[in-house]
Amino acid sequence: MRADGTRVRSPVTTTILVTSIVFLFAPLAVVVLFSFNDGGSVTLPFRGFTLGWYREILSSTEFRSAVTNSAIVATVVALATLVLGTLAAYGITRARSRLRPFVAVLLFLPLTLPGLFLGLSLLVVFSGTEISLSLTTVAVAHLVYVLPYYLLISVAALQRLDPALEEVGADLGGNAWLVFRRVTLPQIWPILLSAALLAFLLSFDEFIITFFVIGPQSTLPLFIFSSLRRTVDPSINAISSSLLFVTIVVFAVSFALTVRSARSGRISVEPDVVGVDA
Amino acid sequence: MADDQGERLALATTTAAAERGIGGRAGGRERGRGLALVAAVPAVLWMVAFFVVPLGVFAFYSLLTNAFYDVAFPLTTDAYVSAVTSPLNRTLAWNSASVGLTTGAITVAVGLPVAYWLRFVAGRSRVAVLFLITSSMFASYLVRIYAWRTILGSRGVVNSVLDRVGLIDEPLGFLLYSRFAVVLALVHIFLPYVVLVLYAAMAPLGRGLLEAGEDLGAGSSLLWRRVILPIMAAPAVSAFVFVFILSAADYVTPQFLGGRDGLTLGVQIQSNFITVGNWPLAAATSILMLLAFLLLFLLLNALLRFRRLHDLRIQT
Repeated sequence: MRADGTRVRSPVTTTILVTSIVFLFAPLAVVVLFSFNDGGSVTLPFRGFTLGWYREILSSTEFRSAVTNSAIVATVVALATLVLGTLAAYGITRARSRLRPFVAVLLFLPLTLPGLFLGLSLLVVFSGTEISLSLTTVAVAHLVYVLPYYLLISVAALQRLDPALEEVGADLGGNAWLVFRRVTLPQIWPILLSAALLAFLLSFDEFIITFFVIGPQSTLPLFIFSSLRRTVDPSINAISSSLLFVTIVVFAVSFALTVRSARSGRISVEPDVVGVDA
Repeated sequence: MADDQGERLALATTTAAAERGIGGRAGGRERGRGLALVAAVPAVLWMVAFFVVPLGVFAFYSLLTNAFYDVAFPLTTDAYVSAVTSPLNRTLAWNSASVGLTTGAITVAVGLPVAYWLRFVAGRSRVAVLFLITSSMFASYLVRIYAWRTILGSRGVVNSVLDRVGLIDEPLGFLLYSRFAVVLALVHIFLPYVVLVLYAAMAPLGRGLLEAGEDLGAGSSLLWRRVILPIMAAPAVSAFVFVFILSAADYVTPQFLGGRDGLTLGVQIQSNFITVGNWPLAAATSILMLLAFLLLFLLLNALLRFRRLHDLRIQT
């Protein structure tokens, strides 16, 4: 809206936006549609509606154990990120030390390293120290990958808080922990929870690094990878759709938390409502 | 005792919002601030142990002798020599660069108008569109690769539709297993990131700035050229570099969608490590690739700085 109340009109950018949204969602819609298609091959035309593929994957023990493994790893990673990440975000935003910029750079650096190199480096170290690969090594690697994303959001949230509130708390004699728990945390917990849910999602879907550091077990992305390498079995559509479904549900909760906290005025609304600060 | 103190705190802080600046310069607070960095220690230790040290070890491996799924002394630069002299590596490096360049350029070119829309045109639909774009960012990476294979394959959605309409007699083979397919899937994967980064960067671009331009009679193309793009140059370059690096080093998308001419250096590094078992070669190729990324980053930054100096000179 402009000052006089009229909307800025921009047919060109509106067209690009609509095209982009269609481009982003059409391929996913195709996969979901095929997951209900009654037929032995993934080709048009559709042969009719079935839930058979979902029944098939649910009865597969491999699929179920892959889902369980992914859920376990992602939960552990999200909780560890919540603790380590919140502490680090607090340190980065509240410290006056000269070391602060170095710490910030170190913690954000993994964002710029392609997963291929992180995966190979960790594999080299694990095999060199004879640490056997397992879901634990996967969680260890995921924490490195997920932490910077969590920090992007939590650091931005902590920076937007009114510093006067914490200062008053300190002046009244509260120690750092008390001020954090009673003044800071009540203002930003929805954002932190929302970011931890995103950490869960990033870990749940991670493949590039996981491929190198996983042992004999499987996670859902690894399960999808191996079915992609085999022949075209239509159940892959049902597997993929289930993953998309989990993603959209968890993401919706995370997004609602952010928007709610923006509306309640805890965090400024515009324009970084999603917490991504460049 | 502590809780009592907490109640007092909570009470005091609610009134403090109205009376900003009430906090004096207490010495205790300053001391607390100095120690705040201690809170980051666990994360720092984690990153050192599982990021810095492993990368260092990996870099060191590039200088060791190949011992088939292992490394051995003596130190040598053999791996670098064979990485640089291999004609296959040169082709693949070129493929990687071209995939990264195209993906980065397309995502930024599309991301800018979308970010502009979100910032200035969106109105009430902003939150809904942000939800759509961000949720698509978290849609599974492998599922997207699979989706494009379904769509572009010889019996895929595009070919069967074209066939049905009667536009083609034979399936279009170039759609899948090509660099085109790889770039398409990577644009699909990275576009949401770029939109969000550019949208966040548009914050300082006030509506007043655009309106002032319009009031002075500037058309939309002039506004883009003289107001929006100069401000967005730096964030656009960072977004480009981010996408370039991550797509040039991707090893999964080319494996499934690339065919022969879409194969990249990332795939080669992965197979040198896992299938061939030549760890020093894989490490050396990785280090060279990282150095190339660093060079690109420094080059583009220097260019930005030069442009800024140039602008200043024109103004004075």
